[in-house]
Amino acid sequence: MSNPKTNTQAEKQPFKVWFTSRKVQKRLVIFTFMFVPLLLLLTFTYIPFAKMVQFSFYNMKYLGERTFVGLKNYAEVFARKEIFGSLLVSLYYMAGGAVQLALALFFATMMVFKVRGESFFKATLFFPYLICGIAIGFIFKFFYARGFVLDTILQAFGMELENIPLWLQDQSINNISLAATSVWRYTGQNVILFLGAMMSVDTDLYEAASLDGANRWQQFRYIILPSIKSIIVLNLILCISGCLSAFEPPYVITNGTMGTGTYFVIMNRIAHENQRVGLACAMAIVLLALIIICTVAQKLFFKYVFTDGNSDESKAAVKRRKQEEKMRKKAMKGGAAS
Amino acid sequence: MKKRLLSLGLVAAMVLSLAACGSKDSGSKTETADVPTIDKLNPEDYKDLKADIKILTDRTDIVDTVYKGYADEFHEKYPNITVTYEGITDYAESVTMRLTTGDWGDICFIPATVEKSELSEYFIPMGDFNTLDSKYNFVVEKTYDGTVYGIPNGGTAGGIAYNKKVWADAGITELPKTPDEFLADLKLIKEKTDAIPLYTNFSAGWTMGAWNDYVGIASNADADYKNNILLHTKDPFTKNDEMSGPYAVFYTLYEAVANKLVEEDPASSDWESSKGMINNGEIASMVLGSWCVQQFKDAGENPDDIGYMPFPITVNGVQAAASGGNYAYGINNKASEDNQIAAMIYVKWLLEESSIYDDEGSIPALKGKDLPDSLAEFDGVELLSDNAAKEGEESLYDDIRNTAEVLSGDYPVCEVLEAALYGNKSLDDLMGEWNQKWTSAQESFGVEVE
Repeated sequence: MSNPKTNTQAEKQPFKVWFTSRKVQKRLVIFTFMFVPLLLLLTFTYIPFAKMVQFSFYNMKYLGERTFVGLKNYAEVFARKEIFGSLLVSLYYMAGGAVQLALALFFATMMVFKVRGESFFKATLFFPYLICGIAIGFIFKFFYARGFVLDTILQAFGMELENIPLWLQDQSINNISLAATSVWRYTGQNVILFLGAMMSVDTDLYEAASLDGANRWQQFRYIILPSIKSIIVLNLILCISGCLSAFEPPYVITNGTMGTGTYFVIMNRIAHENQRVGLACAMAIVLLALIIICTVAQKLFFKYVFTDGNSDESKAAVKRRKQEEKMRKKAMKGGAAS
Repeated sequence: MKKRLLSLGLVAAMVLSLAACGSKDSGSKTETADVPTIDKLNPEDYKDLKADIKILTDRTDIVDTVYKGYADEFHEKYPNITVTYEGITDYAESVTMRLTTGDWGDICFIPATVEKSELSEYFIPMGDFNTLDSKYNFVVEKTYDGTVYGIPNGGTAGGIAYNKKVWADAGITELPKTPDEFLADLKLIKEKTDAIPLYTNFSAGWTMGAWNDYVGIASNADADYKNNILLHTKDPFTKNDEMSGPYAVFYTLYEAVANKLVEEDPASSDWESSKGMINNGEIASMVLGSWCVQQFKDAGENPDDIGYMPFPITVNGVQAAASGGNYAYGINNKASEDNQIAAMIYVKWLLEESSIYDDEGSIPALKGKDLPDSLAEFDGVELLSDNAAKEGEESLYDDIRNTAEVLSGDYPVCEVLEAALYGNKSLDDLMGEWNQKWTSAQESFGVEVE
């Protein structure tokens, strides 16, 4: 439709004028700026992902021939106890995650009210997050080793070496030991995120609340908590998906032995030790599906169970009001038509 | 409308640019007609050849010292050829990935992930099997269809490293010949000395994988066992009366752990410090290939205390040890012809003239050279190498063990230790599971079972 018009324009104007026109330049800039990031995104995210989906239908190694097996790999993921059952290990990390969020909320709330040496505490808490996961693994490998750091500390407090459990071997405790390293690592990050959200709360509110006689707990419950709800939900979602894909602590510290093999560690073992790439790809996609399901479920949970603290009416009330409005509109429309 | 056209063009441009990336490697050349095989190669003919070659290695610890020394020594003799080493941590995985691109360098240690049938896709032939077999050791390992694609820089024997002083202190005068004798000796050591009788190095992982190597020759005294018999055996992990075969190997580990003859907390064992510990007598023995002997000797002040004994399984009165090649050198078939010839000259020089065997304490690749001192205790022990598989079954061993997820990687052996440590599964139950996995893998490849 617009073609003839542009053609005549192009004939009338010399190329240079056309090329330097604002409209063309704008598009050129958009195109060139978009091209590189889109290309990177495509090459390093979407194409590899599509390849992984494709691989999950094959019985294949990294090298050599591939045979198409359909959904057999997926069936195996669900059928094998040591694969799907390893998700149970994630429960330890989720429990750790709950402790971590509670601790982070506590520390953040402490710091949002005036504390001496606040930035020192902030830095100290955040520091573990800056260390790379593998290094943390090695730190804790020696921390938990028999007769090393933790045992020495406990002995200094008067415990006998024989009464101290073997932190990495005792199956009633080794997953807790590993989850604790995750808590140690990520609490600081959560504190900073919470603190950021809390800082954005108007300080007049605290003042007004304390004038009304609200104590610290009440201020936290009725001012801070509702204001940072969205950040709490975000942290919870990140935490759950992180727990499902826990990898570094069990991989570096125990290599997934002695019942500490998380889903990711088993996936790594199947892909690299046994060279069953197709099966590992299927595992990865099942995990992705699980994470999506968990995230959506969480979103829905928060949407319907908790009311939005900022508004005066509950979700149910909002729904009712909206419905009424709709009905009214419909009635008016119907009236107009007839 | 225009907008849509523009975005369409954008997508088209991207797809085209990607397609261009993808099609690059399809026109690669694989001609190797003019590269002489290693037995016919006369380095004097190529005095004028100019080349820069790159060689990949897993020995990141000595790549800038010992290996660079070889490259310099070679450069003095052949001034026109420059050799550069590239050390890679996580070698097997990284190189497997890089091989698929074709542009990784000129010489590499062939990773175990390349199956024999695929060797010709990545490496040039080094010669005919019958000719090379009479000249070098271990060439059978990288031979497919009568052609050799890789030669190991030396070999190791499978046995047990031990501290002679500790064993003598415990009053042991004769080396054990059966698993039960070995376990009895370990008990003696525990009673009479302060040393850890058997150090498993559990947490390092690969040290557990080493146990898989004793399943072939050490447990059966038969060079055909691994590549030809095991594949066709029904339930190979079943216990036999003579206490030989795969069961006996894992029995040794299981019983040692169950009787607390290993370190107290395997989960916090540490490989680097274990070298020093065996050297100064805190550890009595470790089950590892003979390559470890030199490292243990170097790790402390008592190099003379370190000994090496065969694995304690006797079959029909014969005790055998497997000798196998280390990583084999393979030459890139996508490299330029000059580089391939230069690489061949370097490999030949390494195998025949360099001091690499002495430095690593390994069995020389060149036949007729002396065994290293570390294998002195092997008198009276048959040193065998695995025979090649039947034609058409060259890759079957790898296929079956990968599918069964047994005898490959570290984890199955870790499972044996865990079962013994927690006492929640008997060895017979575990071996029964392995038999099942083995059988279903055999079925999936349609293997005839006798």
